[in-house]
Amino acid sequence: MGEHKLLTEHFGTEGLQTLAVYERVGGYQGLREALSRFTPETLIDEVKASGLRGRGGAGFPTGTKWGFLPKDVFPRYLCCNADESEPGCFKDRALIDENPHQLIEGLLIAAYALQVNTAFIYIRGEYHDQRLLLERCVEEARAAGHIGANVLGSGFSCDVIVHGGAGAYICGEETALIDSLEGYRGQPRLKPPFPALKGLYGKPTVVNNVETLSNLPHIVQRGGAWFKQLGTEKSAGTRLFCCSGHINRPGTYEIAMGTPIRELLEEECGGIWKDRSIKAFQPGGGSMQVLLPEHLDLPLDMDAVAQAGSSLGAGAMVFMDETTCMVNVSMRLVDFYHHESCGKCAPCREGTYFESDLMHRLEAGHLTLEELHTLADICDNMNGKCFCPLGDTATWFVMSAFKAFRDEFEAHCGAGACPVRTASAQLVTA
Amino acid sequence: MAADTTPPAAPEDGLVGITIDGRTARVAKGTLVTDASAILGIHIPVYCAHPKMDPVAVCRMCLVHVEKMPKLQPACATPVSEGMVVSTERADVAKTREGVLEFLLLNHPLDCPVCDRGGECDLQDFAFRYGPQASRFPITEKVHFNKAVPLSDRIELDQERCILCWRCTRYYDEITGEKELVLQERGVHTLVNTFEGKPLTSAFQGNLPEICPVGALTNRKYRFKARPWDLQRTKGVCPTCSYGCNINIDSRDFEIKRFASRDNPLVDDMWLCDRGRDSGPSWNNVERIRRPVLRDATGSREVSVSEAVAAAARSLREVRERHGPSSIAVLGSAENTNEEIWLLQRLARTALETPHLDHQLEAFPDIGPEEHALGIAEIEQCAAVIVLGDEPEREAPVLTLRLFKAQTKRGVAIRRVVAQATRSLVGELPAEGLIGLIADETNREHATALAGELSRSHQVRRMTVTRGVNGRGAKDLGMLPNSGPGYTAVDQAGKAGRHILEASAAGLITGLVVMGGSVWSASVTPLLERVAAALEVLVVIDTRPGPLSRAATVLIPGHAIFEKGGTVTNMEGRVQRVRPALPPATQTPSETRILSALAAELGAAGWPGDHLLINRELVTAVPAYARAGNGGRALFEAAVRA
Ligand SMILES: Cc1cc2nc3c(=O)[nH]c(=O)nc-3n(C[C@H](O)[C@H](O)[C@H](O)COP(=O)(O)O)c2cc1C
Ligand code: SF4
Ligand code: SF4
Ligand code: FES
Repeated sequence: MGEHKLLTEHFGTEGLQTLAVYERVGGYQGLREALSRFTPETLIDEVKASGLRGRGGAGFPTGTKWGFLPKDVFPRYLCCNADESEPGCFKDRALIDENPHQLIEGLLIAAYALQVNTAFIYIRGEYHDQRLLLERCVEEARAAGHIGANVLGSGFSCDVIVHGGAGAYICGEETALIDSLEGYRGQPRLKPPFPALKGLYGKPTVVNNVETLSNLPHIVQRGGAWFKQLGTEKSAGTRLFCCSGHINRPGTYEIAMGTPIRELLEEECGGIWKDRSIKAFQPGGGSMQVLLPEHLDLPLDMDAVAQAGSSLGAGAMVFMDETTCMVNVSMRLVDFYHHESCGKCAPCREGTYFESDLMHRLEAGHLTLEELHTLADICDNMNGKCFCPLGDTATWFVMSAFKAFRDEFEAHCGAGACPVRTASAQLVTA
Repeated sequence: MAADTTPPAAPEDGLVGITIDGRTARVAKGTLVTDASAILGIHIPVYCAHPKMDPVAVCRMCLVHVEKMPKLQPACATPVSEGMVVSTERADVAKTREGVLEFLLLNHPLDCPVCDRGGECDLQDFAFRYGPQASRFPITEKVHFNKAVPLSDRIELDQERCILCWRCTRYYDEITGEKELVLQERGVHTLVNTFEGKPLTSAFQGNLPEICPVGALTNRKYRFKARPWDLQRTKGVCPTCSYGCNINIDSRDFEIKRFASRDNPLVDDMWLCDRGRDSGPSWNNVERIRRPVLRDATGSREVSVSEAVAAAARSLREVRERHGPSSIAVLGSAENTNEEIWLLQRLARTALETPHLDHQLEAFPDIGPEEHALGIAEIEQCAAVIVLGDEPEREAPVLTLRLFKAQTKRGVAIRRVVAQATRSLVGELPAEGLIGLIADETNREHATALAGELSRSHQVRRMTVTRGVNGRGAKDLGMLPNSGPGYTAVDQAGKAGRHILEASAAGLITGLVVMGGSVWSASVTPLLERVAAALEVLVVIDTRPGPLSRAATVLIPGHAIFEKGGTVTNMEGRVQRVRPALPPATQTPSETRILSALAAELGAAGWPGDHLLINRELVTAVPAYARAGNGGRALFEAAVRA
């Protein structure tokens, strides 16, 4: 339990971003083994056996997803989702910054399992340096014969293309990513058909997160069974948690699944800062529901957190101390969704605007109680009615916060100013 | 349909059973829930869904409850499955509709009182039926957009009224393929605009205001001309070409304000071209012939209709007595109805006993129905379609949209080649399946030659784009010098249109009856002047003044196509009704009554004058027309030629 370094094992090694150093610490051994010891079918079985679930947010079993590709339809495509734009999320950036070849190796292993000859890394526009780094690493790997025709003399060929986004959160959604990659406005596509059947250029496509793929070299080398015993029954392996907020040591920590959240907070993050107490936390990134101090004893397990009414999502942990105004946090998050709504469907496009308007007036203490109920009502009219999860999740935090901190929300109504900030100011100066 | 809650055992009929609000139906596999509900008479409001476009499910207006589904589902994008149970009546569905309408109206300007669409707007209608009573959103917070963006000389966009249903952009992607409209910006700032801000150039822009579910896209020629409830609507057929697009004629105060499309999936598929649509108002206030006139060397004078008819009969009889029946000719036009054509060719053949009759200038040697075998909708069933030259699509623009649909949605190979193309120029063709061959009338010889070559290896079906709204009917019913009604043989072939005119100018023909000649006369004005000078007797029944009517010895006013009843036949042989939409510009009786009166004066009494009675006679004589009925295609076995 606790910290367990698998993906982050060699983080900090001088020059790890070069092929030479990466190979010196055992890099591309997983790819060699995949190509020599496995057929694509047995490799998919191995990933199924590992219990690996997607790290991009939804936690879908990776092997199962791979199994959805129709047989005998080629070409197929693989996209690494490096769009990482979830508020509070920065683990994929760390994985690229610190160990880019690990990702490329994982991508090639997945490409081999899926019989893909062209794999893409779609990276968010703001990750400019990371894109240049990846491009350099891809060239290096290509020069060494790891990418391109006849990978490592195996007869399997795969090209890797790094593609930069233009800075839209929605392009992390897999079908919007595909649209964007094709050169269109990045907006989610109607499902079905799912990408596994008709994805990039109308061909069978798999989209996997950076962290998901970075696990693959280890699963190949140490075996699916070994991987599965790390973590819990249904949440195998480790996960990188991006910890931020009011804590002493913000950062990315790789933790074995099943570790209690409190241990992550106390041991790795050094507890809440300034000797204050915790008021609330958000376990999965900006999209997920708020949890309370009593939930700190929950294990870092996707299903356990889901039962508590939230989600581990993309592995972002935002801790909030006692001075935090939940209305203010809600407003900031709602603004994010309002800004990022792609505008495709009416409930999200207009609803986030309405939400944002109400939240600003609430935060300033100018909303009436009746309008507060309007807020709850329009969130209900959005949740589950939108085209894609972005619009639905635009209501999750604010609704959960409204439920858990109803007094605080109501206290803002007609107050003319934020009552929490006023109170906190006294607390801090006292 | 009776309420039946026990799921029926699925019979092997390829259909699937669905229950919506307790009513059950068996519908074709793949049917969308919205369409199944329409079959059951249950209304599901939609905005983005459009019957001719693929679903996008962006507006969320159609969300319904589907049993066993965790969330409400968009009915417009959900195909039925066996045993599916749908509810549109649950409280959560009603609340969602109210919610979606509140969202759609959030930044809407609510300017219905000055909006062209008010009265026929889905946003207005659904807001009344399913929407919230009041807005909870402060009016001061509305996002504002540009309210009058000219997209071209035809179309104006009000970006505030737009509900971003994507119909217009999909229209350009899926229906015309021209991709002239795009979405810009994102979130609440999203807007529709032309690609790179360039004006629209499509020949099919007029469809945009019709597919827009709100008043965002308006027709600049119709803007502010009428409110929908002021309009009187009459079903009709577009008079501009032979394609036969179905239209609604919307008039106000006895003026045509617009042509609106009227979906006939077999013909227009609900699309009109701008040339046809914009021709609507041109039927108003045109210079018209209003009163009968007799003219001789001493001058002209207005007379009564009966006087005019009697004078016409008398002078034609005199010509016949002096020069024989072959000195008389009869010219109709492609704008005459089938009923008029029927009487006119009968007048020529039996009352005047002349072989010289035609409806246009060009001769059609060896004419036969095999030139018209391919139906418009059948284009979609071909393996490949060859189009000779650009004439067919210039003549009948909506054909382009059918070809695009066949290509993109049915995988038909479309080959556009030069009109003179030979087999080798056409290139590879699918080995199996029907080959369509499309040409216009000027290229029918090339088409015949190519069809001959192709039919050695393929099954070929031809389409000939005729000219004029009823050019096809005129041929079917024998308004030709070389072919009788139903492509029957004639005893003696007469002169074709141009020869009739030339013979008239040369004094070989001395008496001429012309009905609706102003249509083809424009191209031969100098010849007509010589004709007018040479003829002894010129009987003209027409709507608009022209070189012939000005020289007519007997002039009788005619009725424009929107002032009378009858049928016309489109280029594929579809017999369609026309109805009076405007009061006639003249007091004289209809052309059919004039013709039967003229026949009576010539000694052939008892001809019907009413178009319904004439039609009865016509379908008895031409069985293909009886089989076609109203709206079907007249299909002829083959030419019965000597
Ligand atoms: C609005 C939205 C944004 C998303 N952003 C990301 C992202 O930045 N990175 C990511 O890996 N997945 C993101 N996802 C999830 C992807 O759609 C997809 O599920 C994921 O990339 C699959 O990879 P995995 O199976 O490896 O988790 C997003 C989903 C939504 C709805
Ligand atoms: S919920 Fe709708 S508007 Fe929002 S991001 Fe998804 S598709 Fe776009
Ligand atoms: S302009 Fe009309 S058709 Fe186009 S998106 Fe807006 S509402 Fe829809
Ligand atoms: S009509 Fe179904 S979502 Fe728009």
